[in-house]
Amino acid sequence: MKHIAVFGFSLMSLELMQRLQQAEHSLVFISQDCAETALMTAQGFTCQTLDFRNDDQLQAIGIGEHIDTLFCFFPTDSDNVFLTISARALAKDLTIISIVDDPESAEKLLAAGANKIIDPYEICGRKLHEMLTRPDISNILDHTVFGQHDLNLVQVPIPPGSYLENTDLSGLDLNAQYNVILIGVVDTDQGEELHFALDDTSRRLTAGDILVVLGVTADIEAFKAGLSVAG
Amino acid sequence: MFSRLLVSIAYFLQDSPYYRHTKQFFYNLLENPDSRLKANFDIVMIALVMFSVFLLIYEVDTPLTALDMQFEQTLILIFTLEYLLRGWLYNDCHKIILAHYEKTRYLNIPFSLITVLGKIFAQKWAYMSSPLALIDLLAILPSYRPLRMLRLFLIFRLFKLFRYFNSLKLFTEVLASKRFELYTLAIFLSFVVFIGSTAIYLFEKPTNSSQVAHLFDAVYFTIVTVSTVGYGDITPHTTGGRIVAMVLILSGLGVFSFLTSIMVSAFNDKMQDMRENQTYTELKRCRDYVIICGFGRVGEHLAARLKAERQHFVIIDINADNVSKAKRLGYLVIQADASKNAVLLQAGLNQGANSVVCTTGNDVVNVYITLSSRHLNPDIRIVSRANNPDTIKKLYQAGASDVIQPFAIAGLVAAEYIGQPVAFEAIFGILKQEKQYMIDTLTVTGPSFIEAKTLAELDFIGRKLVLLGIVSDNPAHNQHKNRYPVSHQHFYFNPPAHFVLHSGDVLVLLGRDVSIGHLRQQIARSRFNNSRKS
Repeated sequence: MKHIAVFGFSLMSLELMQRLQQAEHSLVFISQDCAETALMTAQGFTCQTLDFRNDDQLQAIGIGEHIDTLFCFFPTDSDNVFLTISARALAKDLTIISIVDDPESAEKLLAAGANKIIDPYEICGRKLHEMLTRPDISNILDHTVFGQHDLNLVQVPIPPGSYLENTDLSGLDLNAQYNVILIGVVDTDQGEELHFALDDTSRRLTAGDILVVLGVTADIEAFKAGLSVAG
Repeated sequence: MFSRLLVSIAYFLQDSPYYRHTKQFFYNLLENPDSRLKANFDIVMIALVMFSVFLLIYEVDTPLTALDMQFEQTLILIFTLEYLLRGWLYNDCHKIILAHYEKTRYLNIPFSLITVLGKIFAQKWAYMSSPLALIDLLAILPSYRPLRMLRLFLIFRLFKLFRYFNSLKLFTEVLASKRFELYTLAIFLSFVVFIGSTAIYLFEKPTNSSQVAHLFDAVYFTIVTVSTVGYGDITPHTTGGRIVAMVLILSGLGVFSFLTSIMVSAFNDKMQDMRENQTYTELKRCRDYVIICGFGRVGEHLAARLKAERQHFVIIDINADNVSKAKRLGYLVIQADASKNAVLLQAGLNQGANSVVCTTGNDVVNVYITLSSRHLNPDIRIVSRANNPDTIKKLYQAGASDVIQPFAIAGLVAAEYIGQPVAFEAIFGILKQEKQYMIDTLTVTGPSFIEAKTLAELDFIGRKLVLLGIVSDNPAHNQHKNRYPVSHQHFYFNPPAHFVLHSGDVLVLLGRDVSIGHLRQQIARSRFNNSRKS
């Protein structure tokens, strides 16, 4: 259960909140415009009206306390930068995700302390390109991983004491056993890099490693449950 | 009798594929602006013309050897052949004969040989009197012995270059477009020259007859002065003559600055057309390119990606800023309104293009372009952008093959990021093709070694590939679970080891490009071997 605050109204924030609602997070939409909050309230979301330029008000909604993810979805880059700087000053560990309008602002947002920059135009351009050059793959991914079906790409950490600890990647047979496909592993001791399952089959798994798997939600839940069984 | 023979020959030519092919070949060689053959031919001809002119200069003070003479003879032969071939290509005589013959049959009147020959001659005369054909003729004629005196006209060969250089053609076109202004100027100039030379003659002849002996000297002086060249070999000595000279100099300045401004403005006007023409010529050479309507932020990203993959595309945008930006990036651009049918057609909607992408920020425009494109080409792939969710349905109604929602996708991406940042980065790294890994599809085509095999036999792990799933509409697979409908077909996720592949199934594989490429090659090779055996 994550506490997420979304700042700024756009089609994107609406889409995001609709998606996350299903995933059962604690969401709050924040804007300084009463009309926007009224609109979002009508959609059934928790909303608050406040001025993001005021640090006290930011603290009052829980930034620096229980809020752990912040979305900056203001249409202007300067607003997003300001909010990022204010929020970062209040909370060191907050995950800040911001959209960017002008590609030049991406660096400024990162410097201000954002964790992830999303350029909607870039994503759209990429998607269009994919549709044109590889329509079949784009279609499959749309319908499955990003779509209506409950096929998902999920990261599963290996809990301490799991039976997978100290086994080789090649020793796993998740396809038949759990009906999930292993894409790769992130060795958290060595950084964030993803090692693809095919490349180093002799890689030894340790507790804390993150497995990236593709599968149906129910199967993945079963896999997670199976993992915690001590070996 | 003769006319019957003529008609039967005409019918024979009409039906003969050999005749048609020959004519087509020569058309490609000499006239077809899109053929490679013509481009090569032009280069050879330019070289020959240059060489022959050098020979002409060389000949002035050095006698020619036998080899040179032979070369000259060959050249004349080639030029003559070219001239005759162009005359032949200019029109189809047998069609004239047949048209006339059929008309006489229909109206039941006698076939008149004179009329037909007259018509043919009129057409050929139209060819012969065209400026380029005249130049060609003048370049050949002086070499024939009886016309030796016309040797000077050999220099006309240089004008033949007009045929082979497009930029030279353009120059004449520019001049032709300002015909009216140039005529006006020429009339004014001849007026000035006429008055000036008469005046000079009247003033100078009585006292300065050593310099101005004839009216021709006066005309020569006037033109030298008006053009502001002023050699100074003839100088006016009387006060009247000097006044005339002063007036001539001033009017000459005016005339020539006017001439310059006409030329400059003509070229300016033509520049835009020239650039667009260049775009269209380049487009004609491409196949399977993408038409991008709207060069905003989305269009820019798309164009950058297509360029990176060396895919051809053309951009249509009406906004001058966007157009100049695209030009700076070196893309093919047409500055026009993409919702106009003519613009879409000119961009090659029905010729080379295989898809249209509408990326403007205005849903109304996107719907309109989608509708126009679908109306003009029922088979083309159209991907359109919907900024407002309500537009999606309208775009599909208008005929879009796919609709994309930029903000919804970005929202979706942001939502994915919340739950699994690592998985998210991984899948987007693969999709962006930034990592060495890629997701690709392979179609099972029979007869090849993977057809009718089970997945266990194929050992994808050993081939360093991860099989994510199989897309198929084959009912034989219906028994398997993990089936997801994907537009008319089914996607089988993580198929079991006993899954048997059928022809037409599409494998969705994750792996390094080398592994996928290798498997693809093996399939192609086994197909080739199998088809040779059978």
